[in-house]
Amino acid sequence: MQVVVDGILTNYVRQGNGRVVVILHGWGDSSKSWQQLASALSHNYDVVVPDLPGFGATKSPPKTWGLDDYASFIKDFLKKLNISATYCIVGHSNGGAIALRGIAKNIITTDRLILLASAGIRGEYKGRLKALRYAAKTGKLLTSPLPKATKNKLRAKVYQTIGSDMLVAEHLQETFKKVVSDDVRDDAKKIDIPTLLIYGELDQQTPLRYGETLHQLIDHSSLEVLPGASHFLQLDRPDAINSAIQGFLR
Amino acid sequence: MDTIAVIFGGRSAEHDVSIITALSSIIKPLELTEKYRVEAIYISKEGAWYWDEKLKNIDLYSSGKIKDFIKKNHPVSLKFDGGLTLIKSGRQRIRSSSLKVDVVFPSMHGTYGEDGALMGLLDMAGVAYVGCDLASSTIAMDKILAKEVAIANQIPVTKFVIANKEEIDKDIASVIKRVTTKLSYPLFIKPTHLGSSIGISRAQDQTALSNGLEVAATYDDMVVIEEEVPNLIEVTLPIIGNDVLTPAMLEQPMTKPEDFFDFETKYLQGGKKGKGKAGKGSQGYSKIPADLPKDLYKKALDLGLRTYQIVGCQGIARVDMLIDSKKGEVYFNEINPLPGGLYAHNWRAAGISSVELVDRLVNMAKERFEKQQKLATTFDTNYLQQF
Repeated sequence: MQVVVDGILTNYVRQGNGRVVVILHGWGDSSKSWQQLASALSHNYDVVVPDLPGFGATKSPPKTWGLDDYASFIKDFLKKLNISATYCIVGHSNGGAIALRGIAKNIITTDRLILLASAGIRGEYKGRLKALRYAAKTGKLLTSPLPKATKNKLRAKVYQTIGSDMLVAEHLQETFKKVVSDDVRDDAKKIDIPTLLIYGELDQQTPLRYGETLHQLIDHSSLEVLPGASHFLQLDRPDAINSAIQGFLR
Repeated sequence: MDTIAVIFGGRSAEHDVSIITALSSIIKPLELTEKYRVEAIYISKEGAWYWDEKLKNIDLYSSGKIKDFIKKNHPVSLKFDGGLTLIKSGRQRIRSSSLKVDVVFPSMHGTYGEDGALMGLLDMAGVAYVGCDLASSTIAMDKILAKEVAIANQIPVTKFVIANKEEIDKDIASVIKRVTTKLSYPLFIKPTHLGSSIGISRAQDQTALSNGLEVAATYDDMVVIEEEVPNLIEVTLPIIGNDVLTPAMLEQPMTKPEDFFDFETKYLQGGKKGKGKAGKGSQGYSKIPADLPKDLYKKALDLGLRTYQIVGCQGIARVDMLIDSKKGEVYFNEINPLPGGLYAHNWRAAGISSVELVDRLVNMAKERFEKQQKLATTFDTNYLQQF
């Protein structure tokens, strides 16, 4: 289904009846990988899963966006669908960071929050980042005589090797830089609604200690750890995620 | 051996669908006839034309390597030399090769292809081509024009209202008022010129109508809003022929009105919501032949054939119809000058293989072209001598 939000042609999936549950996917992801969870939840809830701007079948933001812009987009998206009350927001990875920012700043409101492998803890690797920045500059200089196509391939390989999502959505590089430099720890302190945090034991992108940090910062929160699961909880452990969410929402 | 150029891709929202139609339903069967030299002409989303054997490989597109191909290769030039010749430069622009085309097989869905734009170019070049001509393609791909032509020929259509992008953008409230005064919910909101269900919404209330109008207006300058047919049975009829028509089977897509054929359902889920593994592409989930009483089947078949003729279709087209099963009324819905995948599954059910289908279409293109060649296009006068 499609709707125009703030001039952006937006794709979304909506199914089921009942109280509204909104799922916000992570960076480079789309509503597609949440279909299974959305279907399961739709037996009891009205489940809405947008493709966030720049991902899936939704057009890109018109300029460089940050977490606040994405949160405002969610507010306007829900308004467009005539949704006045949201029972729960489920945010995965960057979707979690957007939800935290939106709720903390009262841009969006919800009765409950579920953070799945949420991102938003920044600056954990300051030394590593500094070294990578230096390496990037040196690499740029050394590869400058190479053809553009070869340079781009090398660049993609390097970002992939260091585990960066920078080129996951090449067209959103500036937005990516803005988003990943925005820390949500202060936002987390302002969250005063029941919150469930679920993290994968083997998550490398958003390690378990991120979850522990957010758990400490958010009052009324509980933390669940999925043994053997990676960052992509919805693919690794769909049944566990579903039952944890259903239990929390009951 | 005739050279057939299959043209696909293009500056259209249906660019990707067009690639699948070309590779699976046209190029392969044409090669299997062993009667033609088949060449693949791909038009990029930016509108540049490429000609290469590699373009016949689906992996090039599914892997995204088409972007590298475009970077590394020069687009072809077109030469109108009393026909159509494609000229390709080598990588260093030193050597070039050319291709004189005997018949073009357009595999273009939507804008700049199926809407008659490509046919105009081919008419100017003076080359035979498969399928509907400029005029019939233009009518068929304009949902409003097609309805007007149908009404003028006493072919029933559902109640509809039209709106243009400007009024939707500036004063959507008055458009909604106009629509709701004349039509009752549920409604379908459609961009006028797009196919493959792109940009179509179904509305049961004012919010959905407003949202649907905005979505359709992002795709098209004109939007058509139609009343839904109650007790609906949706049927579609592929037809081939120039003067003598051959219908395939009346086909019944198995969708509920609320699960109307959107792009996702039609092409990505095998035609049925929630059945992602069906994997049948545009063939989808449908009944062939449609499950209709004999007289209603015949009524729909006749209406489909009549519409094809009235619009002036040639070669191939598919007529979509809507049936109110309680009243036994059949309404013309849309006509599609290039059915996705040529609706080969339906032709197979009707006893015509994909190989026979494309071969017959090429022959029809040649017959039409020969007839056109016999028509006088010049008129000798002494007008210029007076100056």
